Amino acid sequence: MMEGTLALGAEAVGCAAFDAGIKGAFGYPGTPSTEGFEFVEAMIKAAPEGRVAQWAANEKVAYDLALGVSYAGHRTLVTMKHVGLNVALDAYANSALTGVRGGLVLLVADDPGMHSSQNEQDSRRLAEFAWLPCLEPSTVQECYDFTLRSFELSEALGVPVMVRLVTRLAHCRAALTRQPTLAPAGLGVVPRERVQEWVLIPSNARHRYVELLAKQPRMIRELVALNTLTAGTSRRGVALAGMGRAYFQQLALEHPALAALPRLELAAYPVDPALEAAFLAQVDEVYVFEEDYPVLEARLGLRGTCLVHGRLDGSIPRTGELTPRQLKDALGLAAEPGKAPSSLDLPLRAPRLCDGCGHLDAFDALQEALRGLGLSEARVFGDIGCYTLAAQEPMSAIHAVVEMGASISMAVGAALAGQVPAVAVIGDSTFGHSGLPALLTAVDSGANVTVLILDNRVVGMTGQQPSQALDRVERMVLGMGLPEAQVQVLLPLPSQLAANVQAVQDALRHPGPSVLVFRRECIQSLRRGVLKEHDRDEKARLEQACCSPEVQP
Amino acid sequence: MSEPRVHGIVLCGVGGQGVLSLAQIVLEALRRSGLFALQSEIHGMSQRGGSVHAQVCYAEVPLSSPIIDEGSADLLIALEPLEALRYVAMLRMNGHLVVAEEPQKDMDGYPPLADVYAALKAVRGAHLVDTEDLARRLHHRQAGGMVLLGLASTFLPVPNSTWREVIAQRFEPKGSLVTKRNLEAFEAGRGLATAPTGA
Repeated sequence: MMEGTLALGAEAVGCAAFDAGIKGAFGYPGTPSTEGFEFVEAMIKAAPEGRVAQWAANEKVAYDLALGVSYAGHRTLVTMKHVGLNVALDAYANSALTGVRGGLVLLVADDPGMHSSQNEQDSRRLAEFAWLPCLEPSTVQECYDFTLRSFELSEALGVPVMVRLVTRLAHCRAALTRQPTLAPAGLGVVPRERVQEWVLIPSNARHRYVELLAKQPRMIRELVALNTLTAGTSRRGVALAGMGRAYFQQLALEHPALAALPRLELAAYPVDPALEAAFLAQVDEVYVFEEDYPVLEARLGLRGTCLVHGRLDGSIPRTGELTPRQLKDALGLAAEPGKAPSSLDLPLRAPRLCDGCGHLDAFDALQEALRGLGLSEARVFGDIGCYTLAAQEPMSAIHAVVEMGASISMAVGAALAGQVPAVAVIGDSTFGHSGLPALLTAVDSGANVTVLILDNRVVGMTGQQPSQALDRVERMVLGMGLPEAQVQVLLPLPSQLAANVQAVQDALRHPGPSVLVFRRECIQSLRRGVLKEHDRDEKARLEQACCSPEVQP
Repeated sequence: MSEPRVHGIVLCGVGGQGVLSLAQIVLEALRRSGLFALQSEIHGMSQRGGSVHAQVCYAEVPLSSPIIDEGSADLLIALEPLEALRYVAMLRMNGHLVVAEEPQKDMDGYPPLADVYAALKAVRGAHLVDTEDLARRLHHRQAGGMVLLGLASTFLPVPNSTWREVIAQRFEPKGSLVTKRNLEAFEAGRGLATAPTGA
C-alpha cells in the first residue's frame, strides 16, 4: 500500500480515522493534539464525498458532535488535549452508558513534562474512571494501526474507544504505511427498539451501567492480543507501556543482554489480571517504565508479590517526562560520557508575544489605566492563550491563570467577595470556549467586573485556527443583556493608547459588569492570510447587501 | 557482531528561524537514503520567539525511540550561537557542531558575543559559520539555514543528489527562483567543508 507517508503521531491517528471511513471529525485545538484534527481536516477537504470536519467551540461540544454522528450510524473521530477531556468528561463518561452506534474514537494527547499545558494528568485514569477501553500506541505506525483497530473495537463492543498519545509520540515524525481507505458506510440511525439505551433517565441508566460493567470481561478479551508477555531467564523483569515500551525496545537493540529480562508490554486497557499474574510469577523484582502517572506501577505494586520500581519508589523521578536516560539509569546501564556542557551562564530564552501583537497594546492600555487610577497593585485574572505570556516579567500583567474560561468566573467571585477592581482578561476563542456561560453569570450577578476580551480573530497559540466567535463577540455580549454603554470595541494600536486608557478607566469606574473588546487580527494569521478569503467574502456580501435593489428603500 | 548503532542529530534555534522545517528536510533525506529515521519536535508556545529544538535519529534498522540521550548525538546544527551552547552536552565526544555566528539577541541578559564565540570555539569539532556574510554574498537574506545544512550534510550518509532532490521538492511550491537560491545556499555550505574552526 501507500508506503512512506511522513506523518506525526497525532497526524497518523487522523489519517487512520479517514481510512477507517469516518463521516465526521471534530475537535478543539490544543497542543499536542491539534495536528490530529488538522491532518484529517485536510484529507476531508481534498476529498469530501459527504465527510465533514468541524472545529467545535469547546471539547464537550466536539465530543457531543461526534456522539451525534455515532447515533446517526456513522464512524467519527474527536480530538483534544488531556485537559480538554476534563471539559468533555461529562459527555465522555456518560457516553460509556449510552454506548455508540457508529464507531467513535477519541484522540486525547497528554503532555507529561507540561511542554504546553497547565498540568500533566494521565488520561488512562479517565478511561478507567469511565470504564472504557484505551489503546496506547508507542510508534507512529501503531498510532495508525491502533486507530483502525479502535474503530473495529468501538463497534464490536458498542463503546467509545480512547487512543491515548503523549507529546513525544504526538510530535514524533516518521514514515507510515497506510491501508486502503474505506468509504463512509452508515449503519443507519439508532433503531426504535434501542432508543431507550440512549435516554439516560435513571431507570434506563441503572440498566446501562450494569451492562457497561458486564462488558468489561469482553473488553479484556478483545484487547488481549495487544498486551504481551515475553519470558526471560532473569528474575528481574520490566513492565512497559507507551513510550516506556518504545524506549526499552530501542535500548534492547543496543544492549542485547536486556533480552534476558521477562517483559510485560501493555498497549491496551483494561488489562487482563491473569496476564499480570503470569508476569509477576516470573519475577522477584520489576521495573515499570510508563509515561506520566504510575498507573501500571500502582496496579503491580498492589499485588504485593515482588519489589516494584518506578516513580513511586523514586527509581524514576515522580514528575515530568520519561526519558531513555531514566531507563538506562534505573537498569544500571552505563552511559558513554559526551562533551562537557558549556560553562557559560545561559539565561533562558522565554517565549514572548510577537513584535506588533495587539495583545501588547491591550495590556499597555490596561496597565496604564490601572496606574492612572492609583491601582497599580490590582490583581488581574488571566486565561489560556498567547496572552498568558503577559504573566511573565517584566509585564506581570496577569496574576492568575488556571483553566479555560476561569478568568471571568474568578473575577466575578472576587468581585462578589469585595475585591476592587476585579479584572478579567480572556481571548476571543477562550471566550467562545467557556467564557460565555461565565459572562452570563457575571451579567446576572451584576458584579463589579471589567472583562477585557482580547480578540485576535483566531485561535492564535495553537496555529491560528479560525475563532468560532469571529467578529461576533460584541453581539454575543450584548445578547446577554449588558447595556450598550458597557460594551466597547477598541482598536489595540499604539496610536489609540490614550483613547483605550480612557475606555478602560471608564469601565473600571462603572460599578457593574463592563466588557471591552480589543480587536485586531493576530499578526501571524495576518501574515499567513488565514482570514483573507473570509474577509473578502464578507466585504462582498456587505457591498451586495447595501447596493442590492431589494433592500433599498 | 556489533550492535546496530543509533545516530542522532540535534537541531536548535529560536522560534521562527525554521528549525522544524530544516529537521524535516534532514528526516526526508535520510529516509530516501534507505535509512530508518524518526524526528521529534516540540511545538506550541515555544514557537513564540523561545528556544526551539528538534531531534532526528537514524539507523540501519527500525527505530522506536524518537529521542536520544545526552552525550550521544553525532551532529548539532544550531541556527543561533547561544542556543548552540544549550545543547553542546548532547554531543558525543567526537560529535560535530555546525553553528551560525549570527546572534538573535532579543532576550534579556544575552551574554557578550565574544564570550559566546569563545565558548563555541572551545568545543572540539565546532564549525562556526558566518551566515550573515554568506547571505550577503549570495544576495539571499534567509540563506543561513540552508548554508548550515550544506555544511552539516557532509557529515551525513546522504548522497548530494538526494539532498538536492529533497530541497527542490520542499521549495517547489514557492517557485523556481526560491528553489534555485536555496540550492545555491546549500552548495555554498557544502563548499565550506574543511577543518573545524573549533579547538
